Amino acid sequence: MSDKLLKIEDLVVQYITDDGIVEAVNGLNITVDRGKTLGLVGETGAGKTTTALSIMRLIPHPPGKIISGGIELDGMDLLALNEQRLEKIRGDVVSMIFQDPMTALNPVITVGDQIAEAIMIHQKVGQAQASQKAREMLEIVGIPGNRSNEYPHQFSGGMKQRVVIAIALSCNPKLLIADEPTTALDVTIQAQVLELMKSLKVKFQMGMVLITHDLGVVAEVCDDVAIMYAGRIVEQGTLEEVFTEVKHPYTEGLFNSIPNIDDRKEKLKPIRGLMSDPYNLPKGCSFCDRCDYAMPVCETEKPPKIYFSDTHFVECHLYRDQQDFKLKGGMK
Amino acid sequence: MSNKSEVIATENLIKTKKRSQSADVWRRLKKSPTAMIGLAIIVLFLFMALFAPLIADYDDEAIKMNVRERLQPPSTTHIFGTDEFGRDIFARIVWGTRISLFVGLISVSIALSIGGFLGAIAGYYGGRLDNAIMRVLDVLLAIPTILLAITIVAALGASVLNLMIAVGVSNIPGFARVVRAAVLSVKDEEFIEAARAIGANDFIIIVRHVLPNSMAPIIVFATLKVASSIMGISSLSFIGLGVQPPTPEWGSMLAGGRAYIRDYMYIVMFPGLAIVMAVLSLNLIGDGLRDALDPKLK
Repeated sequence: MSDKLLKIEDLVVQYITDDGIVEAVNGLNITVDRGKTLGLVGETGAGKTTTALSIMRLIPHPPGKIISGGIELDGMDLLALNEQRLEKIRGDVVSMIFQDPMTALNPVITVGDQIAEAIMIHQKVGQAQASQKAREMLEIVGIPGNRSNEYPHQFSGGMKQRVVIAIALSCNPKLLIADEPTTALDVTIQAQVLELMKSLKVKFQMGMVLITHDLGVVAEVCDDVAIMYAGRIVEQGTLEEVFTEVKHPYTEGLFNSIPNIDDRKEKLKPIRGLMSDPYNLPKGCSFCDRCDYAMPVCETEKPPKIYFSDTHFVECHLYRDQQDFKLKGGMK
Repeated sequence: MSNKSEVIATENLIKTKKRSQSADVWRRLKKSPTAMIGLAIIVLFLFMALFAPLIADYDDEAIKMNVRERLQPPSTTHIFGTDEFGRDIFARIVWGTRISLFVGLISVSIALSIGGFLGAIAGYYGGRLDNAIMRVLDVLLAIPTILLAITIVAALGASVLNLMIAVGVSNIPGFARVVRAAVLSVKDEEFIEAARAIGANDFIIIVRHVLPNSMAPIIVFATLKVASSIMGISSLSFIGLGVQPPTPEWGSMLAGGRAYIRDYMYIVMFPGLAIVMAVLSLNLIGDGLRDALDPKLK
């Protein structure tokens, strides 16, 4: 058995609509090792959620379509499986936590039954046993087991997200995909939920893909980081490599957009402009019209992959000729 | 041991909590006086239907002709009077309640199960299947309900069973539309996607996640449709295509008594009142439920 839990190769996903083709994911490569956490970072519309849904094989079709590439999960070729086999894998081998706990729970079913449902789909157990297990799962995520017969509307947002986590973990998945699990929560609850996820990750020994646009969350939880822009990974490396040796101008822009805790009066330096139109991506580097370092070559040619170590690479023309190019900084 | 009693204690706690949602609807329904009046009337009718044998003897009072007592006005022996064959009108109305409510409920169940199934798969799967189902049902919908029912009864022959089929089938398109609309409004919710993400198949998703969340409009529509089905049954019986005499049925009682309406108006008045009360009460409940189930009016 290889130590790679998830391996995505050259994944291309498009949404084919009447208005044109949306190029959501364009040749994406990521791998997740067993028990490790990969942070997938990028702004709205970068294709993070589409990537997550591709792993679940839940891209709404039509209009979405996986054009090419390969997704290998735990040795299985996900793109070759039929729907029945996929149903067995979803929730069992790979689980997903959705962004908004307010809408991810069925309002007319008790939370206990919703957890039990996932268990009963994948394990041959009776209702009573599943309910018992559901209660245990609630205890694990820090909710008293006797609340399992309450409805979602009787829970607060943070508790609902705990329930969603309990559902996702109920069958002990090998890979957990967390799609912005803390975005809809307020900061104090965010910290609690992150802490919970960190401890559960160790407890259940699972790999995790954490999708977020919050670099603070990444620093807290992840082992590896992949920065995503316009459907491609523009920079990837271990947490330390990416955070200490920022290489891509976009990554630098993301860091500059975080408020400085030491100097609260300092103005933020946001990345200018907007994400390029996914209906009509530029021929060269997708980031070139927002990039402070843009060169003529950026507009015409796709940037090459340049490796700084076995794990750390960047897709940028800046380093093609001079590996030791330094960004202007502004890093704290 | 103490562990066990603890479990029982939680179990009890659970029971009260589980009922909370329907209890919520009931609490709001109680606030509407018109709905409560409707409920009282329909409960009265239900009792009449259930305990008909205790209230009046079927063969002796509702069926047997008694020429000596024909066309008697309301009195203490016959509180609603007697009809042209000397049968007790009250007894016939009581027994007629059984037919009306039974046929009304069964025909709505037929329409709800077939129409609901078609509407659910049309709404859930969408696309070509949706188009195929809904266009066929649109054709059915283009034919007036009562005309469709008359055609079906005329083709199959007049009997209680055919009556239920006729009224049921003519209600299918309406139910399919309501269920489809309800399904469409919830099928893109995130919890449906979340259910798919834990490996639920289409059947589980439709039965456990989509339908329970689209129940409110379906319940209201079904309640109102029972009322209109009772109306339809009476109409068909009135024109001789429904329940055949001497079986007591409100519509056929109206038809039988209409020749005497000038001199003995109570013969048609009481069955007519029964129809009006039944239909009105169901409509009042339906309206009340619509308000009680609407979360925006909480």
